[in-house]
Amino acid sequence: MENFLQQLLNGITWGGIYALIALGYTMVYGVLKLINFAHGDVYMVGAMTGYYAAHALGFAAHPSLPGLFVTLAASMTACGLLGATIERVAYRPLRGAGRLAPLITAIGVSLLLQNAGQLVFGADPKFFPPLLRAHEVFRAGEVAVSNIQLTVLVTALLLMGALEYIVQRTRFGRAMRAVSYDAPAAALMGVPVDRVISGTFVLGSMLAAAAGILVGLSNPKIEPLMGLMPGLKAFVAAVLGGIGSVPGAMVGGLLLGVIETLVTGYLSSTYRDAIAFVILVLILLYRPTGLFGAPTTEKV
Amino acid sequence: MALLEVTGLTVRFGGLTAVSRLDFSVDEGALVALIGPNGAGKTTAFNVITGVYAPTEGHVRFAGREIGGATPHAICAAGVARTFQNIRLFRALSALDNVRAALQGAVRSGARDMLRGPGWRRHERAAEDEARKLLDELGLGSFADARADSLPYGEQRRLEIARALATRPRLLLLDEPAAGMNPAEKQALRALVAALRRAHGLTIVLIDHDVSFVMNLSERVAVLDHGEKIADGAPEAVRRDPRVIEAYLGAESGAHA
Amino acid sequence: MTRASLVRVAAFLAALAALQWLAPLALNPYYATILARIGIAIIAAVSLQLVNGFTGQFSIGHAGFMALGAYSSAAFSVYLGAGLLDSLGDGALARLGYFPLPLVCGGLVAAVAGLVVAVPTLRLRGDYLAIATLGAGEIIRIAILNIDAVGGARGFSLASAAHPSVDLRFDSLAGVYGVAVLTIAAIARLVYSGGGLAFRAVREDEIAAESIGVATTRVKVEAFFVSSFFAGVAGALFAHTEGYIHTNSFSFVRSFELVAFVVLGGLGSLSGAVIAAAVLTAAPEGLRGLGEWRMILYSLLLIVTMIVRPQGLLGQRELLPFGKSRGAA
Repeated sequence: MENFLQQLLNGITWGGIYALIALGYTMVYGVLKLINFAHGDVYMVGAMTGYYAAHALGFAAHPSLPGLFVTLAASMTACGLLGATIERVAYRPLRGAGRLAPLITAIGVSLLLQNAGQLVFGADPKFFPPLLRAHEVFRAGEVAVSNIQLTVLVTALLLMGALEYIVQRTRFGRAMRAVSYDAPAAALMGVPVDRVISGTFVLGSMLAAAAGILVGLSNPKIEPLMGLMPGLKAFVAAVLGGIGSVPGAMVGGLLLGVIETLVTGYLSSTYRDAIAFVILVLILLYRPTGLFGAPTTEKV
Repeated sequence: MALLEVTGLTVRFGGLTAVSRLDFSVDEGALVALIGPNGAGKTTAFNVITGVYAPTEGHVRFAGREIGGATPHAICAAGVARTFQNIRLFRALSALDNVRAALQGAVRSGARDMLRGPGWRRHERAAEDEARKLLDELGLGSFADARADSLPYGEQRRLEIARALATRPRLLLLDEPAAGMNPAEKQALRALVAALRRAHGLTIVLIDHDVSFVMNLSERVAVLDHGEKIADGAPEAVRRDPRVIEAYLGAESGAHA
Repeated sequence: MTRASLVRVAAFLAALAALQWLAPLALNPYYATILARIGIAIIAAVSLQLVNGFTGQFSIGHAGFMALGAYSSAAFSVYLGAGLLDSLGDGALARLGYFPLPLVCGGLVAAVAGLVVAVPTLRLRGDYLAIATLGAGEIIRIAILNIDAVGGARGFSLASAAHPSVDLRFDSLAGVYGVAVLTIAAIARLVYSGGGLAFRAVREDEIAAESIGVATTRVKVEAFFVSSFFAGVAGALFAHTEGYIHTNSFSFVRSFELVAFVVLGGLGSLSGAVIAAAVLTAAPEGLRGLGEWRMILYSLLLIVTMIVRPQGLLGQRELLPFGKSRGAA
């Protein structure tokens, strides 16, 4: 039982990470109907930026909670800019060019970020500095909760809460939802569609950057190709929850994290990466619109 | 026994009832029109007859066999062909290839095409000749190698008809074939439809908005409104039917006709 | 067969024989390897073009089928072929007779997998089909990675412990390019025929295709079957020319590369796929001096092309007159 609880805790923690990345996928799909394959690599850039920022600002040598937040802020800002730039340069010219061209471009941007990352950051793994001195916060028998895990979980939940607030309670969020629902109509209503899309990319990229930092905290080995698998899995999480749905991405991410950890813990660890894809195929076969999505029909 | 028999057809999409208890039959060789204001359910009825949707309730029988719920390609094989309200040509393909696809796309063998045994070339040439003949019959001979989406609008509509004819149907459903045409073009289309019907022994059901276009062409007119049939008979009688007049006038006083 | 086609076949076989005899004399092993990789890339790209370009189904898991072809053919050779060749004396004739076997084996295994993937996923459209195929490709790769009999995480060497003297490698550029020409011919014949118009009809408008009697699901499944077969053959050739395989060569990055070949060459152009596969496989080698910059240039090329010339190099046009009708434009 205690092992189960520990696994559950690990699963929720990873789930929070997947959820943060999944939110970026789902929001961009909502407004642009584009699968932004490059999103996982923004997560990698977030981790890398955090690494360099932490070293440059001296937090690597002196771990502290404020240091963590400053690093988070720096990385999220940098990646927000990166996301906006990618949208402006690579995707905006293809607005209205059908669904295929932007998908190819997204693949190109992904490859570009990976290879540029290898060039700029070096292909060898780095070790993310321990921005918090690790210690146990809580223990109940065999179940241990470290401050790192708690920080990751709390930060992820806070960020998700902040995003939910933005989406539901602000004008920008309303505009984002309008564009997701019907972009041409929103434009006719005076919604600045270009700025909304840009902002969506910024938000998504900031969350991915945060995910990168949080992963750096808990799994310190980082390298330029680290975004591939988590990126794909977060995408699966977004589909699981219903691509285009913000609560769906959160629930999907948490679910995927838990399922993956439990199956790995109780059944087999060599198939860890395959679990996400099996879930993907099952979802697409039996409920393609996901848990929170709505079906669409084509008029003949 | 009529060639096409629709009995008690109801089509529901979620909460919306598009067609309600429709009884409609067409004898072999007849030319019948299906009219009604926008949203009356005419295209939905066509879509059910051709297998795009399955009936929620009711039956569709063609040549005595039940076709309700069958796949569109099976219904085409049975002898039903159609054109579309919003032209659905194979846009990147040439006019000739659009017709060839209809001639050869249904009964094909990948193995035969890859191996190309004796007789393959003869078969291909024969099909191509037949396709060109159909194009000529529809006045499209000079457009044979042009991309389908480069054709003028009226020619595109005729190409869709040529493509439908290539499947050698017994029943041809024309969905708004005259949409977007000027009176002269409509006149020409009327003559063409009548000629095709004679030449190919077709039974034709056509949908159109333009009441006068339909009146001069068809022998019988059925009128749908809000998914229900409100009139069915000779054109003159239908034109004077008060329910029909109200359906159209009521629609015109709304947002758009 | 007509005299013209007999002449063409004879010329083809003569060219292959010349290539087989000349290549080892004229080329050093490095260039031979590059040329072999180009030939294999061409086969893989042309096979993908059938599904993506001609049938309009966006499949991005193609490397998974190559992996199945590579691993099944390698297992065939290591566990069955080595013994067979040994008992036949491993002479030139025996080898010539043998090597089609693992290729066909790889193709068939991949083709069956193509069916298994296609039947449930083909009711999905557009983006959803793409990610389903991506998922399938990854599941295949990870499943193979977990099979110890073919090496697992260590990779798989084309060497039989029981028959160590038998060279299971297939060092023949003529073989690779012979298969490449056959592949292009087969797919061109399939697509550029009256019946083959069904594939493009499905691409252009599925609902209209159904209305003219085309069984669209069956056509899509057929496209997947044939496409996966040739992908499997490409994978089998890869295994037998490289002599060692690892699932890392068949990740979704490889699938993305194949999609890039097909898109940059022009979705719907066999010639375009051939050119793009050849140039983009050769270029990184030629650009080797640039180090890491070659992959960056390659991805920039992809991005810029989609903005500036999304129809790729040739769009839907062909350089060779594949099955043109009389009086064509």
